[in-house]
Amino acid sequence: MGSKKILFIMMMLLFAGNTCLGQVVSDSTARDSLLLKQIEEQMQSQNINQPAPQQTRSGITANPDLSVIGDFQGSYISKGKKNFNTYLNETEVAFQAVVDPYARADFFVSFGRDGETGKYGVSIEEGYLTTLSLPARLQLKVGKFKEAVGRINPIHSHALPFIDLPNAYVNYFGDGLNDEGASLSWLLPNKKFYQELVFQATSGAEESPTFFRGETNRFIYLGHLKNFFTLNDNATFEFGLTGIAGPNDSARTTNIASADITYKWKPVKMNTYKSLTWQSEFYYGRAGMPDGIPKKSFGLYSFIQYQLAKRWFLTGRYDYAQKPYNKSIVENAFSLTGGWYATEFSKIELESKLTNSNIESSFFQAWLRWIFVIGAHGAHQY
Amino acid sequence: MRIRSILIIAMLLGNIYFVNAGTIKVVTTTTDLRSITELIGGNKVSVSSIATGYQNPHFVDPKPSYIISLSKADVFVTVGLDLETGWSPLLLTSSRNNKIQKGAGGYVDASEGVTLYQVPSSLNRGEGDIHIYGNPHYWLDPVNGKVIARNIANGLERVDPSNKTFYEANLQAFNTRIDSKMKEWQSKMAPYKGSKIIAYHNEWVYFETRFGLKIVDFMEPKPGIPPSPSQMVKVINEIKANSIKVIISSPYFTTSSSDVVTRQTGAKALTLATSVGAFDPVKDYFDLFDYNIDHLISVLK
Repeated sequence: MGSKKILFIMMMLLFAGNTCLGQVVSDSTARDSLLLKQIEEQMQSQNINQPAPQQTRSGITANPDLSVIGDFQGSYISKGKKNFNTYLNETEVAFQAVVDPYARADFFVSFGRDGETGKYGVSIEEGYLTTLSLPARLQLKVGKFKEAVGRINPIHSHALPFIDLPNAYVNYFGDGLNDEGASLSWLLPNKKFYQELVFQATSGAEESPTFFRGETNRFIYLGHLKNFFTLNDNATFEFGLTGIAGPNDSARTTNIASADITYKWKPVKMNTYKSLTWQSEFYYGRAGMPDGIPKKSFGLYSFIQYQLAKRWFLTGRYDYAQKPYNKSIVENAFSLTGGWYATEFSKIELESKLTNSNIESSFFQAWLRWIFVIGAHGAHQY
Repeated sequence: MRIRSILIIAMLLGNIYFVNAGTIKVVTTTTDLRSITELIGGNKVSVSSIATGYQNPHFVDPKPSYIISLSKADVFVTVGLDLETGWSPLLLTSSRNNKIQKGAGGYVDASEGVTLYQVPSSLNRGEGDIHIYGNPHYWLDPVNGKVIARNIANGLERVDPSNKTFYEANLQAFNTRIDSKMKEWQSKMAPYKGSKIIAYHNEWVYFETRFGLKIVDFMEPKPGIPPSPSQMVKVINEIKANSIKVIISSPYFTTSSSDVVTRQTGAKALTLATSVGAFDPVKDYFDLFDYNIDHLISVLK
């Protein structure tokens, strides 16, 4: 049954590809004849009514949009021997451009610091091709990409409104579920509200606390349904569901189900001065074990971000996390982050966090980070 | 079982492809472009705008709900010159609609052929939000409205060549009306030629040049940087030295800093319409200039 389904999907893709190819041919023929006609017309009219020459505009090159994002941090932790630290957490270099009329490409190269060893290394954080011209409201992405788990995972850490990641999220995904493979998204023909269905199949190449590549042919499969409602001009509501299945380090299957809920209020007229976001995600994990008794666990985070003034933001977050390998180990954490967003290209944030756990005494952490961007800077997801 | 699922998929695809008869669907980024498209396209088009008229066009949130209308659009009209760079490229990519991607027949850059002001010779973000192609607020010169209308008509004719004569006739009528209104606006503004004013943000250069005003300074010390105390002191001194009567602003900026300056100087703070729909009476592109000129005159008198 499984192989039949894959065959069916491949047939659909092939069919889609055919339609696309057909359009290309007919388009270019039509364009060629249009071009010939224009040349003929111009030759006949000898450039009467010639339009005024256009001004030379700066910045036109064939190079991709290039940007470098710096993430400098200072940190404090109340336990252990080394309490204070400063480091350039990450330098991200982005190259982004449209490839041809059919696709665009985005590369993010990360020069990052390993949190535990303090050593720097280079990795391709993301590198993917996105189609622009598939029919039937489909969009295909291939390469290495941040997977479509809820609301935090697809976003680069420098764009999040807090410096550390929620405990429950880290338990399941570490620095993030970021893997190599293909992603097919379908914009549902729903006229009432936005609905997008994403299906992703990836190889499990990236190290992850939950999934493991192993020696077999097993892939990680992910499905995400995004539902987005415009409540009025100033408020929106999003509800998403994600399901993931993949092999774990015991060569059994781990399933993760998650739900995300986001409410945003941003008055259209004064949207650069005032806003409020309330976002929560719930994760449920079920890891298959060799003894046949699966390990189940649960976690969540919920944050409220309030914009106090044009450049001032305050974010309060609550984390609840059961350890996926032993659900009786529970962490609760509260954090508060204040941000000063100087311009679209730099921001300074200060976060403090108190973590309570039922196996060790409470501890306190604080971070200060300065994010700065040079070069072109792409838009962020809403 | 499988036949049923194929049938369902076929039905869904059928809905997408065949419920497409009737008018040309146009999505514009701003309300000014919507208004001009309505005037050129008449009953042959249905037009919607992503931004509202009272919203800062640099900072529109790319809500997924806009993708629904973009995915079905035949024509997309953009102000261009990177005005919408923070949001429209993301929406266009997500639309999965190759009819309206840059370079396709349904993509209209309304700025094509506009004579641009303030084109920088180099780019340094130390100067604030600088636009590499030049100042993008060109629709605030009504004569540029004719260039915009020409570009929109070209786009409509590319996707709907059968109605070319209809669009051309409407374009002609639009241009004639601009020409006659220009005479009226110019004569109204003539007594105030050379009037010195202060503006909140650098978005009035085309309006200023067309109607012979002189913007002495801005409330923002640099484009996109909120008014600082030292800039406010500078502006207060300039207002006093030049007997400036008015500070013009836009609906999407707070008035708190302008209020401080007006209390100190006696100059008036005036919120003008930067786009169609900024205020109730500004219903189309012609109302935009009627409104702004009448309100400016009332304080410059």
